[in-house]
Amino acid sequence: MKNEIGKLYIELGEEFNFYAPIKEKGNLIFKRVLNPDDIVLDYLNSKVPPKEILFPKMEVLFEYKTDGKDVTEIIERTDLDEKNIIFGIRPCDAHSFVLLENFFAFGDYQDEIFLKKRANTIVIGIGCNTPKSTCFCTSVEGHPFMKDDMDIFLVDLSEKYLVEGVSEKGKELMKRLKWLTDAKKQDIQKAEELSKQAEESFETKLDLKDIDKKLDPNFEHPIWAEISDICIGCGTCSFLCPTCTCFDVIDENDQYNNKGRRIRIWDTCQFCLYTLHTSGHNPRDSCIERCRNRILHKFCYYPENYNTLGCVGCGRCIQLCPVNNDLRAIIEKFNNIKKEKEEKISA
Amino acid sequence: MVIIMGIETENSEIENSMRETARSLLKEKKVDVIIGYTNGTVPLSSAPIMITKEEEVEKLIWNNLCYVNLAKYLVPRIPQLIDPEKGDLKVGIVSKGCVGRALIHLSVENQINLENIKMIGIPCNGIINRKRIEKEVGEKEILEVFAFGNDIVVKGKDFEQKFSFEEYINELCKVCKVKSPPVLEELAEICIGECQEISSIGDNFEDLVEFESKTTEEKWDYIKDTLETCTRCYACREACPMCYCNLCFVDQNKPIWFEKTTEISEIIAFHLVRAMHLAGRCVACGACSSVCPMGIDLNLITRKLEKIVKERFNFTSGIDSKKMPPMMDFSMDDAEEFMLEED
Repeated sequence: MKNEIGKLYIELGEEFNFYAPIKEKGNLIFKRVLNPDDIVLDYLNSKVPPKEILFPKMEVLFEYKTDGKDVTEIIERTDLDEKNIIFGIRPCDAHSFVLLENFFAFGDYQDEIFLKKRANTIVIGIGCNTPKSTCFCTSVEGHPFMKDDMDIFLVDLSEKYLVEGVSEKGKELMKRLKWLTDAKKQDIQKAEELSKQAEESFETKLDLKDIDKKLDPNFEHPIWAEISDICIGCGTCSFLCPTCTCFDVIDENDQYNNKGRRIRIWDTCQFCLYTLHTSGHNPRDSCIERCRNRILHKFCYYPENYNTLGCVGCGRCIQLCPVNNDLRAIIEKFNNIKKEKEEKISA
Repeated sequence: MVIIMGIETENSEIENSMRETARSLLKEKKVDVIIGYTNGTVPLSSAPIMITKEEEVEKLIWNNLCYVNLAKYLVPRIPQLIDPEKGDLKVGIVSKGCVGRALIHLSVENQINLENIKMIGIPCNGIINRKRIEKEVGEKEILEVFAFGNDIVVKGKDFEQKFSFEEYINELCKVCKVKSPPVLEELAEICIGECQEISSIGDNFEDLVEFESKTTEEKWDYIKDTLETCTRCYACREACPMCYCNLCFVDQNKPIWFEKTTEISEIIAFHLVRAMHLAGRCVACGACSSVCPMGIDLNLITRKLEKIVKERFNFTSGIDSKKMPPMMDFSMDDAEEFMLEED
């Protein structure tokens, strides 16, 4: 069905907001498709993770009217029941949706906007035939062909896709695509081979076993200063992370027209305003504490709260850090502390 | 007979002499710490590094991917460069021309004391436009990048692509006249290694010709179009040696001056106000563009301001440690032409 992606779009593009990888100003991103010719099928992964479809960098939560003093009317969003398809997502990013949901549906605090969009979204993913040298999903319980978090899973067999319905939603949708043909035995075999090849091709392997237990006792370790010395404190690592969820809420009040809107925008623990108290005190006052927070959140607090690592191994933070502050080196440093200690004891 | 040296030979010569200088500075205890560059762990990158021991000198490198402006780490001084008892450490800093300019300008702005600093001057031969190469290679993974002859060679799993070095360095580097730190006599003590004595530079603003030929509407469209993908991660600001405010105007919230959404008007407000704050201060290092994860070319706007400052006030930042920059100075002879409309 590879050259039939246009057909898929034409068939579903009216009913669904159809998102797919496209090129914009040299960057591969997931965007709502307006012309099926724009869809890029040969790509490694997007620069901005597809989390921005469900959790955009800027999102109006609601609008309101005032009488000049008090709010008189709240205008809720009407687009949340729209149905979405995200086509072409990679397994790591599909898994990030599960992690995002952990956060946005945590305890009593149900984020309706996120959850409604998530429920109305069908995820059609493609296995990774050629993981990047910075990819490490296999180190975080993932796999380049993991289909669990998708509704429909595709394998790129170069001239065609092997299509598999994973969830009920996905299977339902597939029934409508009458032009799909039955898979041949050799196609399934080839897909299995590709999966194995991809798995074996991983260059980055991180030892994350008990990483929380290695990090937690070393909260005050001088290594954090070492890790953060070259960090310039920008938001690249977290803004382009598929699992980072921090946001800030802003009220934009238009006092001349008696109206306004409440907006949420991405925020990050790397910025100086993060956790700044109204008193002026900030428990994360320097780059050292901020760098530490990002690592501990992913590998310590997240497992504690949700019983799984807060990282999907996409490698974006490694690739895009302006000063090449490599996550792999950070993890290794902590693994070495443990080893050094053990060596000391055994000596 | 003219022997044309390959870029790789040039780089290794620069690297060797830089390491020699660094080694003797540490040996003679003239500095406590040296900030330089080391190899990056991903292609098309390099990483800043701090070393304190002679045996670490081999970690220092020079290649055409050393795009970070190391002066960044001095203002505000990062804690690693301050001794809890002794105070400011003596710092050696590997200085290409624009790092030297940044240091001199920061001293003019009273942000650093040059007496605590040794510039390890190197004659920079240009920084690769990594974003342009990334975009041209497209959706293939780059695994290796090196200079060979007059080319930049980019290799991946099943491909190899060559880019002309001369063509694929930053536009700023193509017209740069300050390859090594500009050091006037009074600062000769500060600069070790390769430095140059210049009191003014005949600036070349050829890189602006195309932009200037546009109509006002076209310029506006260009700026809007360029900035549209900004995620507001502020990598540009954080990499800029001149952006050292304790609290950036955009982060001030008592009162809020600017909104922080990614609405195009607010993105533009941030970038243009930041650019205005750099008028007569930008040292044309190009770090802002090199670090932008979205590959936005931010240099054009600051370059244009650099040109205006040069034409109206005959000032170039980071050349003269005694001359006050126009935005910090007042002159009775000033015709105040800047109040006229600028195109």
